[in-house]
Amino acid sequence: MRLSRTIGWPLAPWKSGSELRRPRTSPFAPLNIKPTQRLASACALGLLLLATGANSLAQDDEAAALGLADRAPESAAQPRSWRLFAEGAMEQANMHFGLPDEQLHRATIDLQVDQTIAAQWRVVLADRLDMGDVQNLNGTASISDVNTLKEVYASWAAQTGLLFDAGRINPRLGAAAGYNPTDEFRSDAVRSVDSSDPVSLRENRMGSVMIRGQSLWTGGSLTALFSPKLDSNANTAGYNVDLGATNHEDRWMLIASEQVTESVNPQLLLWREQDNAPQFGLNLTGLLGTAAVTYLECSAGRSPSLAAEAMVLPRDTAFRSRLAGGVTYTFENKLSLTAEYEYSGAGMDASQWRAVQAGPLATYLQLRVFAFDAQDMVTRRAAFVLATWEDAGIRDLDLKAWTKFDLIDRSRMIWLEARYHWSRIEAALQLQYDSGTVLSDFGALPQARIGTALIRYYF
Amino acid sequence: MSDRFLRAAAGAALLLAALGAFAAPDPQSILEASDAVRNPDKPFGLTVLLLEYRNGRQVGENTLQVYSRADVKRGQFRSLVRFVAPPRDADKLMLKNGNDMWFFDPSSKATIRISPQQRLLGQAANGDVVTVNLAKDYHAELAAEEDVQDGDRQMRHCYKLAVSATAPNVTYDHLEMWIALGSNRPVKARYYSESGRLLKTAFFRRFQMQLGGERPTETIIIDGLDPNWVTVMRYSDYAWREVPEVWLQRDFLPRFKPE
Repeated sequence: MRLSRTIGWPLAPWKSGSELRRPRTSPFAPLNIKPTQRLASACALGLLLLATGANSLAQDDEAAALGLADRAPESAAQPRSWRLFAEGAMEQANMHFGLPDEQLHRATIDLQVDQTIAAQWRVVLADRLDMGDVQNLNGTASISDVNTLKEVYASWAAQTGLLFDAGRINPRLGAAAGYNPTDEFRSDAVRSVDSSDPVSLRENRMGSVMIRGQSLWTGGSLTALFSPKLDSNANTAGYNVDLGATNHEDRWMLIASEQVTESVNPQLLLWREQDNAPQFGLNLTGLLGTAAVTYLECSAGRSPSLAAEAMVLPRDTAFRSRLAGGVTYTFENKLSLTAEYEYSGAGMDASQWRAVQAGPLATYLQLRVFAFDAQDMVTRRAAFVLATWEDAGIRDLDLKAWTKFDLIDRSRMIWLEARYHWSRIEAALQLQYDSGTVLSDFGALPQARIGTALIRYYF
Repeated sequence: MSDRFLRAAAGAALLLAALGAFAAPDPQSILEASDAVRNPDKPFGLTVLLLEYRNGRQVGENTLQVYSRADVKRGQFRSLVRFVAPPRDADKLMLKNGNDMWFFDPSSKATIRISPQQRLLGQAANGDVVTVNLAKDYHAELAAEEDVQDGDRQMRHCYKLAVSATAPNVTYDHLEMWIALGSNRPVKARYYSESGRLLKTAFFRRFQMQLGGERPTETIIIDGLDPNWVTVMRYSDYAWREVPEVWLQRDFLPRFKPE
């Protein structure tokens, strides 16, 4: 099979001598040649000159590259145990429903520390402070400081493959890009919303207080964690650690994974929330060739619908499943495209959704607020398409675009970003469009269009 | 008598020729020896400084820490790569275990599977030039013995090997490699795609005693399509490192805390 490839090599200089040394006609004896032969000889001579010129050019390029290396700086950056950035943002929002336009300003400081304090011991701290016009998931802006204590925990490596942690930890789970049914600790975890981008929502959320143990072996691991109830209600005070948001019920979880083949690595999950039945989860990824990754994330178990959890409908516990599956394909120019299908058996079908939309506004808002805080789907089916392009035509310019399309009510959100980065500074422009009928999934959002300009500096 | 003598002489000549043929270097062994010059035989770590130039001007600088361990079964290196600089990429991790590749971002705590083509930080892909064990996935043939200019602009007598992929889904379809006679040092290499397009040219230089052998501490990579795009890779802080098997999996990435 490889032979055909070898034959396909151009100008293979290691071909046998007989192949290279077989001029049938001497170039110095062109006396009796025909015009076509003369033309062929001229072409051959031209090709020879071209080849010689190209070779010389290649040598010049190589010499220039070696010269650059001779003058290159010597020292490499040293690793640090912390990362700190400051960010300033301005936002212009054009509103739905005739509401007055909004102009918001925000300043942010974000710190992350991961420090070894003794052999086998490390401490992790991640904190974010937003100042100015800070929004929550419901779109309500407050003019105050909002601190988000994302993580603070201690970790002990008892053995190479046996680790324990205690503190506020953010165990981020899920293989999907736009909707993560197995990411149990996402609900009620976001205090301030800088962007609707799923990546931003993951970065800026609080962890939950828990104890966690993990055993690792070659190609697999088992994790067990317990997160206790510490408070009953969320606290919106700016500098509150807000344990009521993240630890308002007892929860436990088991996570197991095993490398089945080089391209298949499933992760199985089992968890339970206080007063609810156990839930099963699966995260599965696979390679399709060298350029595509496919993934499936799902959860299943007996649970109430989202509307029942929001106390909009009576308790209706039944077996329900949630799912997100898709594929990411990467092109040679670093453009990646992801297409994802999302399903929530706890969300509303078309008739249920129409009934809620036609009902009392207070009931509708109660459901929407609950769904925002839970970061769950209010309707049953959605599609998510994401495009990211690094060095998009211009070096250091990254483009990102995604759309979330509600397949029940046909409303959509479109989000676009252009981000340029220097060594320590990033500047970005973001645009968000929300469209759909009144009271649809995305058409009901107060903002019709949001434009954001931000600049970030890494210390 | 003279006829018998001539026959004997012819026989001896044939025998000598046959012995000569047996003594000819085995190109696959040369490739293996060259791999061993680049790659230590035990788990190790090093720091890589990547300097990127366009049209003679430096346009990028990355620092990576690499922890590598050979796969006993496949002989190929598996690596944990920690991004040190620039600051926006600090502490991001990439696990490369053959084509099983994962990327971890400490900000979102997300561990994402990536395809071999998905180069979240393009320059990391040049790591392949350093730690790949070519002899495991490629077949070498001796093309010539010739003098070639090395990275220090000295003419060096080399084996020229024609190296073609035998394993599926490898980064390069085929290579030309120049390996110094006697020392088996890699001197220069050209990497090609399946369509025959030159992807990159690499020079290996600044050989220093590191981890029990003379190893190149600098690789200069010239892009095949745009020769004005040059990447200089400097290796430092060579050290034997504990890289346990349990580290080389997705679930360990959020746990990785280098020394």
